Amino acid sequence: MESITERHVQNGHVQIVIMLAIASATILMGLFAMGVGSSVQLDKVLTLKIILGISEADSLQSDIIWQLRFPRILMAITCGVALATAGALMQGCLGNPLVSPLTLGVASGASLGAALAIVFGLHVTDFLDPLLNSGPLEKLDFGSIGIVVNAFFFSLIVVAIIIQLGRMRSISAESYILVGIAITFICGAIVSTIQYFASDAEISQLTHWSFGSLSRPDLGQTIWIAALITALMPVAIVFAWDLNSMALGGDDFAISTGVDPQITRVGILVLSAGMTSIVIAFTGLIGFVGLAAPHMTRLVIGNDYRKLLPCSAVTGAFLVLLADTIGRTIFAPIIIPVGVMLSVIGGPFFMYLLLANRGVSH
Amino acid sequence: MNSILEAKNLSFSWGESPVFTEVGFDIQPRQIVAIVGVNGAGKSTLMKCLNRILAPSSGSVVINSKDVSKMPLLELAKQVSYVPQSVSTSFPLDVYDVVMLGRRPYISWRISDGDRAFVSDTISLFDLEDFAFRRFDQLSGGERQRVIIAKAVAQNPSLFLLDEPTSDLDLKNQIMVMKSIRKLVDNKENNCSALIAIHDLNMAARFADSILMLHDGKMKAFGPPEEVFSKKNISEVFGVTSELISSTDSAPMRIHILDIPNDESAGN
Repeated sequence: MESITERHVQNGHVQIVIMLAIASATILMGLFAMGVGSSVQLDKVLTLKIILGISEADSLQSDIIWQLRFPRILMAITCGVALATAGALMQGCLGNPLVSPLTLGVASGASLGAALAIVFGLHVTDFLDPLLNSGPLEKLDFGSIGIVVNAFFFSLIVVAIIIQLGRMRSISAESYILVGIAITFICGAIVSTIQYFASDAEISQLTHWSFGSLSRPDLGQTIWIAALITALMPVAIVFAWDLNSMALGGDDFAISTGVDPQITRVGILVLSAGMTSIVIAFTGLIGFVGLAAPHMTRLVIGNDYRKLLPCSAVTGAFLVLLADTIGRTIFAPIIIPVGVMLSVIGGPFFMYLLLANRGVSH
Repeated sequence: MNSILEAKNLSFSWGESPVFTEVGFDIQPRQIVAIVGVNGAGKSTLMKCLNRILAPSSGSVVINSKDVSKMPLLELAKQVSYVPQSVSTSFPLDVYDVVMLGRRPYISWRISDGDRAFVSDTISLFDLEDFAFRRFDQLSGGERQRVIIAKAVAQNPSLFLLDEPTSDLDLKNQIMVMKSIRKLVDNKENNCSALIAIHDLNMAARFADSILMLHDGKMKAFGPPEEVFSKKNISEVFGVTSELISSTDSAPMRIHILDIPNDESAGN
């Protein structure tokens, strides 16, 4: 009979294999998605040949592949990684399975920022411009991404509130959630009020923003976002041991294993709110993956955060990419927004997984 | 020999209302000390003050000659391990990984072969091999308690703080848990001690070397069971009459709780 030590080592290997399998599936899905599109002169085989450098591409083909499809796919992967990781982090450090990256109000902050920009033309960049124009950043053009900067700035307000809360003595995990819900209500009320003054065109633009889309950032921006999220992933994984303690037994238990839950919680919340802000400022509201991807992963791989974080990340990437690819093809040339697609396909699948795993009683 | 723990003049209050004041005692190596007292006497609070889960409003706690308030938490976790009354969880790990959390203070990221060996040995010690890869939430109360104590043992501390470790357990499990703690503390290699909050006075008399009796926010008595468990003390602290049977070579002292004195029980 194998010893429990060997079995523990072996379980670890199995988990790594599962993770690599999902990552490979994501890469394959990415390659497939590169070949999907409305262009008649670019079929899947030719696209694959161009990507692998076997065939030469003309400039139009090259533009379609590298300027249109590649940023979108990279953004899908980045978005899935960031939101799923943020969701797993937040669920663990708040000890609550109902939490998603949007619970703390980051998204409603972003919506408020977007609404102010779209309806009133109030741009944070207008205030930044005079400061920046005098410095070395003179050439930076914020104009084209005014809504994005606004959304990001207003979601950072939520991060600031988290930091302020963290300074208070003995603030509980529930307090963060309740404050998040309050922020959501407040921002929601202001956005509704703004909509009251908005024209039909502006309301339509705001609604469109809130659908969530992966095609807004261009290639350069996408690469920056991807690089930022990639840089933050190791920081997230460093918290894995602390999260195991906090998620298993709560604050007292965490302290007994040498973890300071107050400080750790603020750190994790700021990190996950930051990751969420970076992505949704560009994409708009894509929520469901942050709730569902960590839970799907938990069902397969368990709750050990050392495995759960990287595995949630790849699962999130896979889900967003899958939803976007289906959204682009199912009613082509009409594109169903990725946020909608994620909820429509992901929701029932998620429910099935949760319920099937419970079994039937009696 | 140096004490494992010295608590001096400890006081704690929630805002204005004091829980206990001026509590001081020490614990020698390889000793079990039991804290007894009524509900709300401050047993759990006192324990949490020793472990920095709560900060005492005054007084000091010294463990192995080091001031606890100045120790980094990770360092403290190598000296003291705390077993809460119960652990309920939304995100259960496998039993093996729960016990592995006891090695957290010694691990930066990678689990070494040494850590794994330590955890496997601890799991065998508590007879948990069959559950090693079951999820923590699928265990019974007694099994869970053993897992959490095993996790505390994996921390390899000098001092165990156990908050009512037997409260949710059936009779056999109660004795099993107390015996395993006694065995740990008696093991000369470990050089550790335990402080246990407990309601069952007979358990306390049987397994503890000293009894710390809390009453009305003060330390009522501290000493060997035969001294502390007098009819007078038991009546004053717990409000019950009792009959005592002294210890013999083969049996620990016994306390028979008889009744509530007449004037209190019937109401009017």
